[in-house]
Amino acid sequence: MDEPLLEIKDLSVSLKKRNTISVAVDCLSLNLYPSEILGLVGESGAGKSMTGSAILGLIESPLYISAGTITLHGQSIVEAPEHIRGSKISMIFQDPLVSLNPLKTIGEQLVKTIKTHFNISKAEALERGKRLLSDVGIDPERIDAYPHTFSGGMRQRVVIALALAPDPDLIIADEPTTALDVSVQAQILNLLKRLCIERGTSIILITHDMGVISETTDRVAVLYSGRLVEIGETSDVLQHPKHPYTAGLVASTPNIDPHSFHKKLFQIPGTMPDINDVPNGCAFHPRCEHASNICQTQKPPLFNARASCWLLETPGETL
Amino acid sequence: MIFIILNRFFQAVLVLLFVALISFLIFRFVGNPVESLMGQEATLAQRAALEEALGLNNPIYIQYFDFLWKAVRFDFGNSYRGALPVAELIASRLPATLELALTSAVFAVIFGVFMGIYTAINRGSVITNFILSSSLIGVSLPTFLIGVLLIWLFSVELNWLPSFGRGEVVDLGWWTTGFLSESGLKSLVLPAITLGLYQMTLIMRLTRSEMLEVLRQDYIRLARALGLTSKAVYFFHALPNILIPVITIGGLQLGSVIAFAIITETVFQWPGVGLLFINAVYFVDIPVMSAYLLLVGFAFVLINLIVDLSYFFIDPRLRDSELKDKA
Repeated sequence: MDEPLLEIKDLSVSLKKRNTISVAVDCLSLNLYPSEILGLVGESGAGKSMTGSAILGLIESPLYISAGTITLHGQSIVEAPEHIRGSKISMIFQDPLVSLNPLKTIGEQLVKTIKTHFNISKAEALERGKRLLSDVGIDPERIDAYPHTFSGGMRQRVVIALALAPDPDLIIADEPTTALDVSVQAQILNLLKRLCIERGTSIILITHDMGVISETTDRVAVLYSGRLVEIGETSDVLQHPKHPYTAGLVASTPNIDPHSFHKKLFQIPGTMPDINDVPNGCAFHPRCEHASNICQTQKPPLFNARASCWLLETPGETL
Repeated sequence: MIFIILNRFFQAVLVLLFVALISFLIFRFVGNPVESLMGQEATLAQRAALEEALGLNNPIYIQYFDFLWKAVRFDFGNSYRGALPVAELIASRLPATLELALTSAVFAVIFGVFMGIYTAINRGSVITNFILSSSLIGVSLPTFLIGVLLIWLFSVELNWLPSFGRGEVVDLGWWTTGFLSESGLKSLVLPAITLGLYQMTLIMRLTRSEMLEVLRQDYIRLARALGLTSKAVYFFHALPNILIPVITIGGLQLGSVIAFAIITETVFQWPGVGLLFINAVYFVDIPVMSAYLLLVGFAFVLINLIVDLSYFFIDPRLRDSELKDKA
């Protein structure tokens, strides 16, 4: 494979409250390659969004990056993340209804973003803004309209246009379709995917929706309690999960299949631990049917660059 | 747009009519005007003649319309003291009050907004904590005490600024201004600070809390993620979104600054309408009191009207929804 675009190594994000320090993201390492779409999946509070914000340096006190490195094109970006925001990496948030400034026209917001990154005249910036709007499927004539005159799906298109405006190498999309109607979700995902493939832009897609993962991403990283539990090619991970948690996630995904209508949906027993109270050893062991003694005492490393589970220690053993 | 303006204008006129009613009732029923004008020695016939001349025998609504009609032409009758027309008295005092109120409002808004933004952006810094704790003084000390303290420090001890009066004023024919002479400007400093300090702290705290609220919004996070400079994030994205509450409170405060300049004017012997009013109260000079009430009511209504209309220029959502309602 090529050189990675983005390299996250042993990243930890901690939360300092009075005298206690809790770990929200624990020793996370992953690589992202050019033009790749990587999914980050996990339950709420697993550290997905935190990882996305940490890459852009957008986490605020009392949260802080306590260890690890993040490099883009081989250069560290932890010290001065403001230099890469927009121009190299931009981000899309969950709720398009509140992602746009209600008092500025979409044209003003586009022009402001474009002029921040390119030294061009206002007329040129406006021209570029119109082209971006037509790229995301919005009539360029509406450039002087205010955000409230657009529907949720349309606004998310405007947000995508804004994210693409500085021509970044990577877009972090934090649950970009969660707040949208189901019928619009697929449109927005396909649009984002198509535009990024055309431009050679990578995507980190943060979601809890396994359906979105399977349809959109090339590779997927599964997070649990701030730790990476499994990573690999999407089709491989979804069809042959190596970690019991991933297997549970896949099994608990609703499936519109006439034969499974009457089957009860699988549930992973228990809940994810609070970050102040993460169990010793493997964080998943209290909920895991395969848990053995070693799971309760020692953190599993990532075996075969694939999954952090002691089951993989013995070759040949599978779920 | 014209509908909205007309609608608001109509509401303003209604409020003014009501204020005029109260003002009229004070005029008519607080004390007896005949008594005040003629004194003890007048004969019954003289009294009856004056009552007739003043129109006091007409039905009450006729008297009210009469009062309104005169008020529209700035005819508030004569002051009981000195027998000068009230309109003339007020006109001669109004520039002093308006200049003082305007100066202190500008001082309050500029310092209030900038300190509010500064303390919101630099949360927890030493300067922020200093500003916030000293602003408590501005909120809790009464105006007259602040005035007296300032006089003691800057006039008595340091001898930098005059302690009373308006200094030299330049007469422009229809307006007398203290802005054009050095002593006029110097005289303005202490009263303007005294009058504006409370409003400044109020505007600062409001700006700060609104700013903190706005900075948590997703469009601010998006703007940051898109690499916009801090300047653009604060002034392009955040500032317009705090304008509506700040203008609302700021406008109301300007009204109170005009209305409650009384105390400051008394402390600094500032020759404005507030001082005129206080003296009128001492001598139960009803026409002056009633005209002052109308004036303050008018100022409040006018400012509110302007504040209301400014919303439509700031917020496109309001503009659209009002237009839809009317259509």
